[in-house]
Amino acid sequence: MKNVAGDLNKTKEALKKLLPAEDILTFGFTSARGMEFCCVFADPITDKELLGEQVIRALSDYDGEAKAEEVAKKLTSPETKTEPSLEALADEVLLGNPVLLFAGMDAAVVVGTKKIFTRAISEPSTDVAVKGPREGFIEDFKTNTSLVRRRFKTGDLRIETSEVGKRSKTVVAVCYLDGIAPASAVEEVKKKLQEIEIDYIPDSSYLTHFLSSRPYSLVKQVGTTEKPDIFCAKLAEGRIGLLVDGSPIALTVPYLLIEDFQSSEDYFVPAYRATFTRLLRLFALIVAIYLPAFYIAAQLFKLQLFPIKLLLTISGSIRDIPFSPSLEMLLVLLVLEVLNEASIRMPKYVGMALSVVGALVLGETAVSAGFVSTPAIIIIAFSGIGLYAVPNLIEQTSVLRLAMLLIAGSVGTYGIILATAFIILYLVTTENFGTPLVAPYAPVVGSDLRDSLIKYNLGSLKQRPKTLRSPNRRRLA
Amino acid sequence: MKISTRQLLFFLACVAPVGKLILLPARLADAAQNDLLFPLLAHYLLQAGAVFLALLLARREESFTELLAHAFGRTGAAILSVLFALFLLFASLLPLLEQKLFVQNVFYDTLPAFIVYAPFFLFTAYVASKPLSSYGRVWDILAPLFLVGLAGILILSVGSSDFGAVAPAGAAGGSGFLKGVSSAFSWFFDAALLLPLLGKFRYTKGLAWKGALCYLAGGAAVIFFTAVFYGIFQGTAVNQLFGFTVTSKYFPGIAMLGRVDYLFIFLLALVMAFYNSMALQGSVECMLQAFGRKKYLPTVLSVIVSAGMLTAVTLLDRGFSDVLLGVGKWAFWIFPLFSVVVPALMLPLGRKRREAP
Amino acid sequence: MKLRKFLHTVPMKLYLILTAVILFSFFSNDFSLVDIQKTAVILAAGIDRTDSGFALTAQLAVPKGEDRTTGGTSSVEIETEGETVSDCVTLIYTKTGWVPKLVFCDLIVIGEEAAKEDVVSYLNYFLRNDYMPDTCLLAVCEGKARDLISSQSALEDTSSLAVSQLFSDAALKSGRVVSKTLKDFAIDYYGVSASSCLPYVRKTEQPDGQGGSSGGAGGGSGSAGAQDTGSGSGAPQIYSAEETALFAEGKLVAVLPREQTLAYNLIGGKVVSGTFNAEEKGKPITLTVIRDKGKVSLKLEKEPVAELSLDLTLRLCCRSISAPIEDIASDRLSDEAIQNAGTVVRGYLEDLFKTCKESGCDLFLLKRSLYRSSLKKFAARKDSLLETVTPEIKVKVRSMK
Repeated sequence: MKNVAGDLNKTKEALKKLLPAEDILTFGFTSARGMEFCCVFADPITDKELLGEQVIRALSDYDGEAKAEEVAKKLTSPETKTEPSLEALADEVLLGNPVLLFAGMDAAVVVGTKKIFTRAISEPSTDVAVKGPREGFIEDFKTNTSLVRRRFKTGDLRIETSEVGKRSKTVVAVCYLDGIAPASAVEEVKKKLQEIEIDYIPDSSYLTHFLSSRPYSLVKQVGTTEKPDIFCAKLAEGRIGLLVDGSPIALTVPYLLIEDFQSSEDYFVPAYRATFTRLLRLFALIVAIYLPAFYIAAQLFKLQLFPIKLLLTISGSIRDIPFSPSLEMLLVLLVLEVLNEASIRMPKYVGMALSVVGALVLGETAVSAGFVSTPAIIIIAFSGIGLYAVPNLIEQTSVLRLAMLLIAGSVGTYGIILATAFIILYLVTTENFGTPLVAPYAPVVGSDLRDSLIKYNLGSLKQRPKTLRSPNRRRLA
Repeated sequence: MKISTRQLLFFLACVAPVGKLILLPARLADAAQNDLLFPLLAHYLLQAGAVFLALLLARREESFTELLAHAFGRTGAAILSVLFALFLLFASLLPLLEQKLFVQNVFYDTLPAFIVYAPFFLFTAYVASKPLSSYGRVWDILAPLFLVGLAGILILSVGSSDFGAVAPAGAAGGSGFLKGVSSAFSWFFDAALLLPLLGKFRYTKGLAWKGALCYLAGGAAVIFFTAVFYGIFQGTAVNQLFGFTVTSKYFPGIAMLGRVDYLFIFLLALVMAFYNSMALQGSVECMLQAFGRKKYLPTVLSVIVSAGMLTAVTLLDRGFSDVLLGVGKWAFWIFPLFSVVVPALMLPLGRKRREAP
Repeated sequence: MKLRKFLHTVPMKLYLILTAVILFSFFSNDFSLVDIQKTAVILAAGIDRTDSGFALTAQLAVPKGEDRTTGGTSSVEIETEGETVSDCVTLIYTKTGWVPKLVFCDLIVIGEEAAKEDVVSYLNYFLRNDYMPDTCLLAVCEGKARDLISSQSALEDTSSLAVSQLFSDAALKSGRVVSKTLKDFAIDYYGVSASSCLPYVRKTEQPDGQGGSSGGAGGGSGSAGAQDTGSGSGAPQIYSAEETALFAEGKLVAVLPREQTLAYNLIGGKVVSGTFNAEEKGKPITLTVIRDKGKVSLKLEKEPVAELSLDLTLRLCCRSISAPIEDIASDRLSDEAIQNAGTVVRGYLEDLFKTCKESGCDLFLLKRSLYRSSLKKFAARKDSLLETVTPEIKVKVRSMK
């Protein structure tokens, strides 16, 4: 590892060699007493105004020794450090921190004048709460850590940062409450992060692949949230959180499937209401996944599932449809998925037009034209709405819905039962960080059932979830 | 991953009964008419005793093959384990054929092609490739599903039942009782299903008693259901081959709401899919214990076993009643031999270890 | 190494194969199964005897299309003849091209002639058919079942729905009709009593200009080519099922008039708001049953005695305007009315018992009671029980307070 040399030009050349990119600029200036300085910085991510104010102006009349410590003392920036290693200096430049070189130096001075691009803290659109905090994480790492730190005024909150990504060197913070999160799980998370060998981490979702025990699985194994209050509540339960620079989505492990049926609002409303809404979410999800499948299976294989009057209605409505019932349902489902995908990506002003096209043209006209039947549209509409009752599982459930539909159209109701059996077995055998995914239901953990689909009053939730193996289980006296 | 005591008790009380709710009531009605509850009770008492013995074996904290190895050496134990695996496959044949009939009748309006049942063997191949101990968590899920399913069926059925139909006691006589007992043996081998699980759960204090009592509790539910079943169909019960799927449709609300009872039927069908795959997985486990656990062996064996059973079920598709009668007449003794006599004979094997608190 | 690499990719290959199989079967979709578009939903079936075997008249539901504003259920009737009922059902397929499904068959009507032989011999086809609901109602009709099924109802689009409506809960509570499902009838038949009863349906012509049915036939696709027996032809009909056909050993042996049907329902304790007439001061009055407790028990002394006990609470249906105000308010019965009501009901029960005994129908399931109480006594008396049994009728009538 090479260090800086006393010769300014040589050091500058060496550093430029390490950083040949065109946007790495150098700026040389001389103090009133004739001492030569040179700033090396990454143009797009350095706050040049601050650089001018806190470095160049401060050194304009420097008359001290050519020692890094002395030079650093003269600067008006609160974030400075000295660094002799050229490679470390190059890294700092890439992080947005200018490096100050000068003639006769023993080490260079790194100045924290990184340019910070942030948007305002806002309520995440995917996790809206009527009651409770409305803050959401943003892309800026420091803001995110501050949102967490503000909620835990204790030294037990540990935010341990490391860099992941050979080229992106993305900052990842492992957050946990010391003495509450199990040490073994913390170590496992750190170990997994260290083992990651990847060039670039654009978002926290990349990390989920490396943190999952079954990375190719359809099943989610890492919890996600955009809200600091949820993030902190999970830390308080004994989970470990991960904040990734550049991502507004924080990760939490170990993840339990039940988490996605709980919303932050459940803790701010009476327990009976929370229980009701959780059961409603489960019901909506089951309906969303199974309704189109059972509808098709009944039409193809088991008419008895319909009451006779409903059967005659359906029979009448599909009489002139040119497709088989299964194909018709598949088409309607695909149209819904396309509309959904398009409405997310389209500009807002087109979105309105899309709604009109979707609702009127595709819905009303397709039925009138005899392409699809009304019951098929109603079924898919029910299913589509139900899916969004548990928004964090949409990626998984929309695939499951399609799979169930295909299975139902192939082998009928028994296929659905077998597929469900497959899913059950798969879910109960999935573990991550030593925690069963379907706990507290499989295995049954009696005490944890108090905050599962059924939610007890806060007064009854005296202990942290046993499933998370926290060394300190009591949270309420 | 070890099976906990609770999970094991869930299996005995809430999963094992599901196999006795389809064809068995009609079969018993055929053999013992209105006395059908007595052979059923006799079987439950016998099998509960066998469950008690099988659970006592768990005190050794050794697997089935390891226990056998104390008396017969490694090779002898391996041979006996394979023999036991073959018994489990034989025992699973009738339930699989029964389930096939059930599927064809309950899930389809017209008789479907045989192929629609084939996906079940895809499922068993997957299940059998998993460690047997993963069943513990499955039972945690299945127990409430079974309870909801059976309670739903019973609530909808009990009002239509004339319990007086089981009177007078003794109408079928001793021969009817014996005929009932001999014809029902093929449904009772739950203690044998526990043997491959040895070593995968710890013996806790009183487990044998608790297990036997839970098994009897499940039996009580089956007996009650059978009484309801006979009370509903009486003299025509012999024709009602699909037990729990046919009793709830007489509930007055069904005419208005449609067949909502299918929800409960589907729940029980789900539980049954796991229960019927257990013998196959047990068989794979015994073979693994005999041959040693190599990396891909569980998958290979599970595929072979499932494909073999698929072939057997396909070949016997049309001859189910012959198989049923044949087993009831000639081969019924095999079931108590492996499920009652084998655990009893194994009791002296191995060293007793300290019980877990 | 190569093997390991291959085995590593096996799960992914299996997934792909499985997906391909599912997709193939999804789009080909043929496992000898009949989906909704190929199905003829049979709502009701009528069975008649012919010289060569049976005639089956099936009433098929016909979809009305997207326009559901008119409501009701359209139907078309198909008649087939064959040596067995099974033959007849199969012939529906050849006549219509649709596969007949019995899963929604809610009514089987047996023609009068067909009912005179062992009906279970041909009902067994339905009884043992796994795809036929045994909750299906059974009825016997005057004349031919075909005529009843094919007739046009004055009240409903579909005759079978109008007939089924006769056995609604409200109708059963009135005590005017009996209702039996296929399962109930089979249980009675295969029980030790081997006796049962079915409602006996008659149709009466509704004069022109009354009744609002538009008729349902001929509207549906797929009916072309099928033999349309002319559903909706003729004048609109009103159906009644106040009489009851008695069966012994599966054969029609007698028909109970409406009074005896009421008596049978009263002794069954099923009547809640039924009415019957008695006299008070020489004038007819109508009485409404408020509470009905009926019981049949068998006493075995020297000779068997069937004890028919009935405890009725009645109220007067309409009182003359000149009656005292407190009587109008309470609808209380006079002693005379109570006495007369008791006599009337007793008479009904005596007639009912006589009819049953003469026809050899063990309608009160006396043999079953004997069997359930004592196997020994049953063995001794089962053959002579019906001939030797005498009735002991106890009727207690009280006025609503």
